[in-house]
Amino acid sequence: MIRFILKRLLALIPVLFAVSVVVFVLLRTGENDPAMSYLRLSGIPPTDDALADARLALGLDRPVLVQYLEWLGRAVRLDFGRSYVTGAPVTDHLLHYLPNTLYLAGVSLLLTLALSLPLGVAGAVWRGKWPDHLTRRLAAIGVSAPSFWLGFLFILLFSVKLGWLPSVGSGGPAHVIMPAFSVALMSMCINMRLLRGGMVAEMSSRHILYARMRGVTPGVIVGKHVLRNSLIPVVTAIGMHVGEILGGAVVAEIVFSWPGVGRYAVSAIYNRDFPVMQCFILMMTVIFVFANLLTDIACAAIDPRIRLDNGGKA
Amino acid sequence: MTNRLSLYRGVCLCLALLGVLLRLDAAEPIVYSHFANAGPLNPHLYSPNQLYAQELVYEPLVMAGPAGTVEPGLAERWTVSEDGLVYTFYLRDGVRFTDGEPFNAEAVVKNFDAILANRARHAWLELANKIASYRAVDDLVFELTLSAPYYPTLNDLSLPRPFRFISPKAIPASGTTGQGIVAPVGTGRYVLAESRLGVHDRFAPNPSHWSGVPADADVLVKIIPDPMSRAMALETGEIDLVFGHGQISYDVFGALEKNTNFETAISDPMGTVAIAINSGKSPTDDRRVRQALQHMVDKDALIRGILLGTQPRADFLFAPDEPYADVGLVPYEYDPDTANRLLDEAGWHRAGNGGFRDRDGVSLAIDFVYIGNDAAHKALAETIQGQAARVGIWIDLQGVEEDLFLRRQRDGDFGMIMSPTWGPPFEPHAILGSMRLPAHADFQAQSGLPDKAGLDQAITRALESTDEAERAAGIARVLTTLHEEAVYLPIHYTCLFSAYRKGVLSGVRFAPGRTLIPFEDFRKPGSRP
Repeated sequence: MIRFILKRLLALIPVLFAVSVVVFVLLRTGENDPAMSYLRLSGIPPTDDALADARLALGLDRPVLVQYLEWLGRAVRLDFGRSYVTGAPVTDHLLHYLPNTLYLAGVSLLLTLALSLPLGVAGAVWRGKWPDHLTRRLAAIGVSAPSFWLGFLFILLFSVKLGWLPSVGSGGPAHVIMPAFSVALMSMCINMRLLRGGMVAEMSSRHILYARMRGVTPGVIVGKHVLRNSLIPVVTAIGMHVGEILGGAVVAEIVFSWPGVGRYAVSAIYNRDFPVMQCFILMMTVIFVFANLLTDIACAAIDPRIRLDNGGKA
Repeated sequence: MTNRLSLYRGVCLCLALLGVLLRLDAAEPIVYSHFANAGPLNPHLYSPNQLYAQELVYEPLVMAGPAGTVEPGLAERWTVSEDGLVYTFYLRDGVRFTDGEPFNAEAVVKNFDAILANRARHAWLELANKIASYRAVDDLVFELTLSAPYYPTLNDLSLPRPFRFISPKAIPASGTTGQGIVAPVGTGRYVLAESRLGVHDRFAPNPSHWSGVPADADVLVKIIPDPMSRAMALETGEIDLVFGHGQISYDVFGALEKNTNFETAISDPMGTVAIAINSGKSPTDDRRVRQALQHMVDKDALIRGILLGTQPRADFLFAPDEPYADVGLVPYEYDPDTANRLLDEAGWHRAGNGGFRDRDGVSLAIDFVYIGNDAAHKALAETIQGQAARVGIWIDLQGVEEDLFLRRQRDGDFGMIMSPTWGPPFEPHAILGSMRLPAHADFQAQSGLPDKAGLDQAITRALESTDEAERAAGIARVLTTLHEEAVYLPIHYTCLFSAYRKGVLSGVRFAPGRTLIPFEDFRKPGSRP
């Protein structure tokens, strides 16, 4: 297991390198011009002289390869330069916003698990009955409704009409409820249906039939045999939900004015703030890769048949 | 040096805390929202310093009054030499920065030193180019000498930046503020008491403001980037008001106007949304085509349909109540027949099937450049495209990113381009001045006019004239030429919105300029009258 983790961590290096190259090149192709962005964001008229000065100051007059290597040299020391908008170090600002995003994503993930597991189990245990119908309809809404739309609906209902929850900001626990729900709903519904489907299939398998014949109580059958065996696809899906949740958080942070890294990044994309965009994409890559790594480890922990250390052979 | 700066910051913090402790009985804060934090609050620099916040913390020598007038600010009076070159300002006695430093002629000189050390950044503002020298005559008299007369000197000094004053102790040892400041310390009605990145800024009243009437409530500015979220926050009472331009969408404001629970108001015109038409590029290099564009746009329908009637129609580049702008021009009325006739005269004929016009096998197509993610401009452009099709003009809509927009503006690579003006107190002088700079859309749009050089000289003469009548006549000539040449297609004047729940606030009013929010006049229930 440890060897596997180390291997995966080492594999992160070429992934990050490839991503950094792609991002760096893409941002400099087409009509993107960091010097023009810099002047616009600094409020300087883009005269030829000003553009030439900006190119010189930003090192854009040198070959792209040299620019990339210089940037890489600083990036490995976590120095991603300064934002064209604020003039502040990018790393400082991203690290300032990151805990808020991780908090929102963490609560969303907890909600996803806390709600999808019982609802999925209920849908499977009472298959064809009202809990199953209810969760099916909920899932249909959850996967088809865009999170920003849900966010505004939540605000309209719980903030404007009922006055129960604050609509913007991040002051206390009440502030996280609506953003977390709007982010979690899609993942929760997918998880719920996955679990329900897995459990229904598992329930019709032979070992469950034999367990019933042995007189094992329904609670033990569902909890110990059916649920545990149905969890693998759910756990795998959770790895993907991390990406989904982080993507959803970007939207929710704007709708709910949540001071997170997503809102900061969207503002950077809108402004063509190149240093922030580069740093954000790399940071997201790291988070995704780690999420996938944790998923693989969790799968191995749940199912001893998965032998990570010898290529998955039993 | 670092220790000294830390000590200084510590002292400022202690003073601010002391101020907070002494104000435990203060009124509830007025809760406003903005799309970003106030920034480092450098009075001498631009983005990311937010204009409204610079206005709260820093003050000018003279303040913008209504209709282009100026009123006493940190200078209680001033004189101008007969040749228009020397301005002498008599400063208020007893004014102090919020760190206790006296505001005097020496402080003014240090601020001018700091600003002009970075003169290239302020070159867009003609006054920065015109300043020849300045000096402290005595403790309360400051003298400014120009290299050539420049009538809007006082107007430029009233702008929210860069000619505002920061405590000399907050200017770095280098003597320039071009790279930053030590701390945001001004003489204004408010001090920045707290700033939480991405969350809020809190401004506390300056208890020792020279007016003797300090504001009585803090201003808490929540960071809400999305206009729809802001509207929701207003509905829920999480913010007290929306105020300004672009804070909420036109349809949300229209809904609030109809909601009896809210007080709403629309300001006088504070700028113009206009389209610059390129006289240097075919097919708009033909004046008749430009004039046809003026006649084919049904502005009233456009304002009704897109702006929900919230903004007044604009017939001229500057609203007639702006200084020197009422020059008796005749508007281009909506008249598709005239547009058709002008296009026929210009040799652009319909192909016979009622479709788009052509001449010598070339279609009458005009590219219209706007910033693609500006929803209001996109809607305007799409409607104009539809209206143009009725007279046989194909408008090629090109919604582009902001960088590309700037580049095309600079290079004159457009047939039509969105070109909103800046509003008072920048108008008309700063806009007229910028028409002479090639990086601006105005210059490019005018580049094909028969006497562009003469127009630029006329602008320069008008700006430098010390004779009021001569100046008015010069500006009238420029505005008349631009109008007759149909270089601008004004659509609507930009007005500010204010909206708040009834009973939450009173005394809400608009200031003469579009950047100043007079929070000190706003009252929450329970505060002193």
